[in-house]
Amino acid sequence: MIDLSRAGSIDQPDGAGSAGGGRCDDRVRFTLRLAGERLAEVRFGADACASTTAAAAWLAEAAEGSGLLDAARLGLTDVLAGTTIDSPECALTAVDALHAALGDAVVRGASIAADPHRVGIAMSGGVDSAMVLTSAVEEGHEAVGLTLRLWIDPDAPNPERACCAPSAVRAARDLCHAKGMPHFMLDLREDFRAAVVEPFVAGYAAGETPNPCATCNGAFRFDAIDAIATALGCSEWRTGHYARLVERDGALLVARGADPDKDQSAMLALVDPAILARVRLPLGERIKRDVVAEAGAKGLAAAKAPESQEVCFLGGGELAPFLERQGVELVPGPIVDEQGVELGTHHGAVAFTPGQRRGLGVSRGTDALYVLKVDALSNTVVVATLERLGRREVELRDVRLRVPCDRVGASFRVRAEPIPAALAAHADGTATLVLDRDAFQVAPGQVAALYDGDCIVAAGVVAG
Amino acid sequence: MIYLDHAATSPPDPAVVTKMLPFLTGRFGNPSEPHALGRQARADLDAARAGIAAALGAQPADVILTGGGTEADNIAVLGRCQGEPGRIVVSALEHPAVMRAADNLAERGWKVAIAPVLADGQLDVMAFGELVRPGDAVACVMAASNVTGVIQPLAEAAAICAHNDVPLHIDAVQAAAGMDLDVGHLPGDVTLAVAAHKLGGPRGVGAVVGPGVQTLEPINHGGGQERGLRSGTENLAGAVALAEALRIRQGDDAPAERERRAALRDDLEQRLALPVAGGAAQRLPGHALLLTAYRGDTVVRLLDERDIAVSAGSACASGDPQPDPVLAAMGIDQTFARGAVRVTLGPTTTAEEIDALVVAWAEIEQGLDAAREASA
Repeated sequence: MIDLSRAGSIDQPDGAGSAGGGRCDDRVRFTLRLAGERLAEVRFGADACASTTAAAAWLAEAAEGSGLLDAARLGLTDVLAGTTIDSPECALTAVDALHAALGDAVVRGASIAADPHRVGIAMSGGVDSAMVLTSAVEEGHEAVGLTLRLWIDPDAPNPERACCAPSAVRAARDLCHAKGMPHFMLDLREDFRAAVVEPFVAGYAAGETPNPCATCNGAFRFDAIDAIATALGCSEWRTGHYARLVERDGALLVARGADPDKDQSAMLALVDPAILARVRLPLGERIKRDVVAEAGAKGLAAAKAPESQEVCFLGGGELAPFLERQGVELVPGPIVDEQGVELGTHHGAVAFTPGQRRGLGVSRGTDALYVLKVDALSNTVVVATLERLGRREVELRDVRLRVPCDRVGASFRVRAEPIPAALAAHADGTATLVLDRDAFQVAPGQVAALYDGDCIVAAGVVAG
Repeated sequence: MIYLDHAATSPPDPAVVTKMLPFLTGRFGNPSEPHALGRQARADLDAARAGIAAALGAQPADVILTGGGTEADNIAVLGRCQGEPGRIVVSALEHPAVMRAADNLAERGWKVAIAPVLADGQLDVMAFGELVRPGDAVACVMAASNVTGVIQPLAEAAAICAHNDVPLHIDAVQAAAGMDLDVGHLPGDVTLAVAAHKLGGPRGVGAVVGPGVQTLEPINHGGGQERGLRSGTENLAGAVALAEALRIRQGDDAPAERERRAALRDDLEQRLALPVAGGAAQRLPGHALLLTAYRGDTVVRLLDERDIAVSAGSACASGDPQPDPVLAAMGIDQTFARGAVRVTLGPTTTAEEIDALVVAWAEIEQGLDAAREASA
């Protein structure tokens, strides 16, 4: 029986969320009113087929009166068990909408009393976070899945390849629910655009080569998850990065993961140590291959999920069309050598990055040519032979010194072999790196992870 | 259960069941056999055929019994398209029994011209007249739309076809329960399809009727029954049932019953005060396609939960809602098309049942409005 008695909406709700509008144009919206940790009132709106409407009505009834965490345990399986529905895929729209409203309530400030057994799990929908969740549950924790919804670009060639695509969010949620655990989907798209995508686009437009993952983790993602995990009363939170945390001289440092092929320490170079104190990295000592095998043995669907290593918001596409979709105008211009001799034409200087060889399509005799410099102002790409790209001195800005150090191994790309260097930090937050040997692919905007052994002792951004 | 889905299928008429029962028990003979049981069966079949012919204004020799309405339509359409690919004309209103057969011909190289429908749900006769050309293998116009119930201009369509010497096939499967059909008064090579289950009879029996059957070619092959056009041992019980159902629905008492049904329908439409597809045209008496602002299948389910059976105007197949092609052809907005709810009354429908629907509607309308308003 479809109970329409909760049809409607709450004025000034504590949480609101919608879903739908796809091919069948079904639309569902939930509004919630909280009394402490409990959902005192749940209302739904539906302009939808019978299956979706039935699911929405049932979820409103099931969620009303329950605690926030119990509501976050409600999923498709419960809907199918609780009501008669012809088409499960339609019911998903209602589940998505309820979870959007629950996540919104958390983003708006809902909070839950702390519990030492409760841990947050940052989940992307992939195999690594699936294993982190599974092990937390096996250890007897109440594990709360947290998936950030950061980006949707329907015009991307393959929108589902973005790390927070709807299918990935659903995969993370399904896994939590299969383990009887709550899951929250937190829509931070506007904040992400402002904190990560816009600086990334602006950086490229200015001829830089920003590293969005390190910036995202350092200035956005870890802060957001930490705040939410704390609000949900989690004693700590875990993420599936292949990196370790090591204490040295009273400081908590990010260190390389045990798997050299998968090490993600550089991505965490900019994360605030105060946040790291509440973070656990259970996969830091693991080898990726073993993790995937174990996930397979445990029957986790995520074991078969394709791995995404590219920048999440590119959505399976190339950089240039992405920049154009974001309003960066790509204007053809000259490719010149250091003497100013024009060797060819590019389709837009800002889509190139120093050290790049692919896509240039120019030659000078038998020399292989690389991008030496991108001049956004004159829309010029300067090319040279590899040895001309070599740099010994690199200026850094926004430097974070985790422990005092003057000798470091400098790494400008994830998993690049560090180059021994002398570090001279200045009082204004800048620093000068003097490398022992040439670095060939250093570009303004990149994040420099500075290692001592396996530990990141400092980090900064390559200055222009 | 209040059954208001008579256009989908009709509840068995006790009179029809009584007539056919002996043929499902003792009188089981095969009309092709020379023994007594067979001869009796032949005589009963002849009588049934004569009854069917009389009810529809045809000659007994012009009645081909089939396994239902869809088969009747297929025999009448494909039975004229057995040679080299040519051209046919079909109205945009046609039921899938005709439309998919036409699609099949198109896949085999035939040209299929679609005659448009006007906003009131009637065939555009002028356009039909321009489309039908001498040499066309067949033209198809249904007697009344199974979606809107709008009655089609058959006399004009038949005159156009006769003038061009093109056979006309009329799908009357929906119409036979609600309007007089007289194939003998139409000019030209006309065929007409009917099915028993829309008339209080059983599933699995129908007929192609009319002078046009004389020029059909077989599309199935076997023992040569039904003039070779529908091989297979005759469904005698079904034939008897169809004859009795047509005798009642097309008989002398039928007009009064149809008037009663139309009055109930008009009362319902007035009380619900919803837009109605084809409301300005002449419609089958018990037929109402209500255009609601909700989703048709949601309304159907909510009414079903209140023990009232109606049907949705558009089907949603695996997440891809198909706007009904007939409503699209009438230019009805997609929002209303997906909210279409078909309410169809039958001879058994009572005023109390209509009252119950009005009460249930008032009950669900408020909740549906609240849900819709809160969805954005």
